[in-house]
Amino acid sequence: MASAPSKLYQDDVSLVVALLDTNPFFWAAASLPFSEFLHHVIPFINSLLLLNQLNRVVLIATGTSSCGYIFDSGDGNASGNSNAVCSEIIKKLEDFVGKDSKIGKGSNGDGTRPAISSLLSGSLSLALCYIQRIFRSGTRHPQPRILCLQGSPDGPEQYVAVMNSIFSAQRLMIPIDSCIVGAQHSAFLQQASYITGGVYLKPQQLDGLFQFLAAVFATDLHSRNFLRLPKPAGVDFRASCFCHKKTIDMGYVCSVCLSIFCKYHKKCSTCGSEFNQAAPDSTIPDQKH
Amino acid sequence: MPQVRIVARNFMDMVAALPAAKLDKLYDSSFICEAVLRSLPPLAKKYVLQMLFLDSPLMAKSMEEWVLPDGLSKHKVAIDRLLQLRVFMEVNDRKKEPSYKMNQKFQSNMQKYLTTGGTVPREPMPLNAAVRLPSVGELETYAMEQWECFLLQLINSSQVDKSTSFSSSMMRAFQRGLLNSSRDNEAPRLTENGFQFLLMETNAQLWYIIREYISSAEERGMDPTDLISFLLELSFHTLGEAYSVNTLTEVQRLAIKDLADLGLVKYLQGRKEGLFMPTKLATNLSVSLSDASSRKEGFVVVETNFRMYAYSTSRLHCEILRLFSRIEYQLPNLIVGAITKESLYNAFENGITAEQIVSFLQQNAHPRVAEKMPSVPENVTDQIRLWEADRNRVEMTPSHLYEDFPSKDLFEACCDFARDYGCLLWQDTKKMRLIVKGELHQQMRDFLRGQR
Repeated sequence: MASAPSKLYQDDVSLVVALLDTNPFFWAAASLPFSEFLHHVIPFINSLLLLNQLNRVVLIATGTSSCGYIFDSGDGNASGNSNAVCSEIIKKLEDFVGKDSKIGKGSNGDGTRPAISSLLSGSLSLALCYIQRIFRSGTRHPQPRILCLQGSPDGPEQYVAVMNSIFSAQRLMIPIDSCIVGAQHSAFLQQASYITGGVYLKPQQLDGLFQFLAAVFATDLHSRNFLRLPKPAGVDFRASCFCHKKTIDMGYVCSVCLSIFCKYHKKCSTCGSEFNQAAPDSTIPDQKH
Repeated sequence: MPQVRIVARNFMDMVAALPAAKLDKLYDSSFICEAVLRSLPPLAKKYVLQMLFLDSPLMAKSMEEWVLPDGLSKHKVAIDRLLQLRVFMEVNDRKKEPSYKMNQKFQSNMQKYLTTGGTVPREPMPLNAAVRLPSVGELETYAMEQWECFLLQLINSSQVDKSTSFSSSMMRAFQRGLLNSSRDNEAPRLTENGFQFLLMETNAQLWYIIREYISSAEERGMDPTDLISFLLELSFHTLGEAYSVNTLTEVQRLAIKDLADLGLVKYLQGRKEGLFMPTKLATNLSVSLSDASSRKEGFVVVETNFRMYAYSTSRLHCEILRLFSRIEYQLPNLIVGAITKESLYNAFENGITAEQIVSFLQQNAHPRVAEKMPSVPENVTDQIRLWEADRNRVEMTPSHLYEDFPSKDLFEACCDFARDYGCLLWQDTKKMRLIVKGELHQQMRDFLRGQR
């Protein structure tokens, strides 16, 4: 069920912004090594560029403490040797991961518990800004979409930022596709793909990743009206509370700004409105059976 | 406008019409595989990508499950195209169920492209050549000039300042279908197809000319297959780089001179050998192989008071606008005109339809108005269509009127006779009058004479 309105496109020129998860904590323990992963992703990028002369691909790396642009096919170096492009991507990824881990160590000081989730909100924002720049460049622009290759688990502290990015994408009518290469489903990305009208997929066999990517995620927005694409069985709509960033099913909602809290507060921290109701006796009302 | 689309896509149809052996030989070159892939409809491209790494054939029924019910017609079109171009080959297994497999050479070429990346057909010349290379901007102006000169010569040979070096028989071959001389001592007039041709966008026009060029290639001793592969390769060269003529085969050398006249390449004389530089027209060739998604900047602003402002200096644009509007005056960078009833009636007489005019205006809308919805004001588009419909209000059929019938039976007999032949147009039983189509007149007279 498409819950987002989509523009009607007549041709298949696309701009794909791919967000690569480069969280070293995830990749160290993953079943598919990172180099193998790249062996699937880079031919996929080549195939996108092959399909149409005007297609553009942008790679953004999602680190643990930062995000960065890795590759932009519209950069000016015309076609060129793909081998050079491939090695350039790998080199830039290595530089990025090095910088990212330095930033991570620096802010944590003496190495408190390192973040195990990657900065999805940051890379989504980078992608949306890039696409907005493309929109403003003129009338003739390719159809944009965002592809998230995510492996690390969701960080509940990013809930607000990720939801804001998702709503911006919905308003700009940019579908967010998600391909989960990790072990667990991601509630954020399920919601993202559901709200923006993208495709959410967790491939069962990671050694066939290229085939999954080519079969599902290479579809341009025009053809999506005609092809049968995977639909998720159910969407995990759980939210995280704004005060402690815990994932919760039941909680308190501010009636003015709809912020979610797990414990009773006298005043809403987002909009400042005061709650006049008296505090309940216990924490959460117990279930009646 | 289905007719125009057929003309533009015919190049790939021509490739598909090549005999199987020649087509397979064409697929030896990975550029042609790329170009063919890019020319496919979007659904077909997806299928190729999906089947690229599959070794065993896939049943047609399972492919049909990939599409939603809405997409079945597009699915059929895509599969037909793939079979036509021999990218997919049909394999019949023991159960007599059709299944499809990819062409071996095509598959291996594309697999190599994806894993190791594309290459260029030939290396550009090193930069220390003594001759000064034109910049990309100069190349573009050169290409546009050449192309316009060629087009102007095509439609009206008397108007050009300098003519291209095409022989008159070549020009006549190009003009066939576009121009015809109504009277011997009068200049040839554009036919309906000619007008449609002018209103197409540049890439479509280019492909039409190239198609004619290739069709007539055999008479001039050039193998069409070589020409096709050379043209497709040309689109993969880098814009702005010079390539040595020595790397071309004999056939290609002959073709280069003609292509230079069309504006596809610029021919230069280097220190020791000839050089050629592909222009934007050449590198965009494979973009336009498939449907018309025009990526050019428009130049026409249409106002709600039916005035038209075209920001262009090209004489060709002036001629095209003159087809359906009244050009009032021309300024150094602007052509001012008005869309009037007379000018439109003129256009309709010449066979241009309202839809073509409207889509020409919409596709070439100036960027300032292109973002507005609609880019051409509705009152203008509606009025153009209404004026066209005006011409259809009255339909004329040559016919004969029969009256003064002596008896009612004779009148009835005549009516039945005419009705049997499907030529009865009108009858008035009270006054016993009959109108019959003109072609039946002779037989009607014989019938009446027989009845008397």
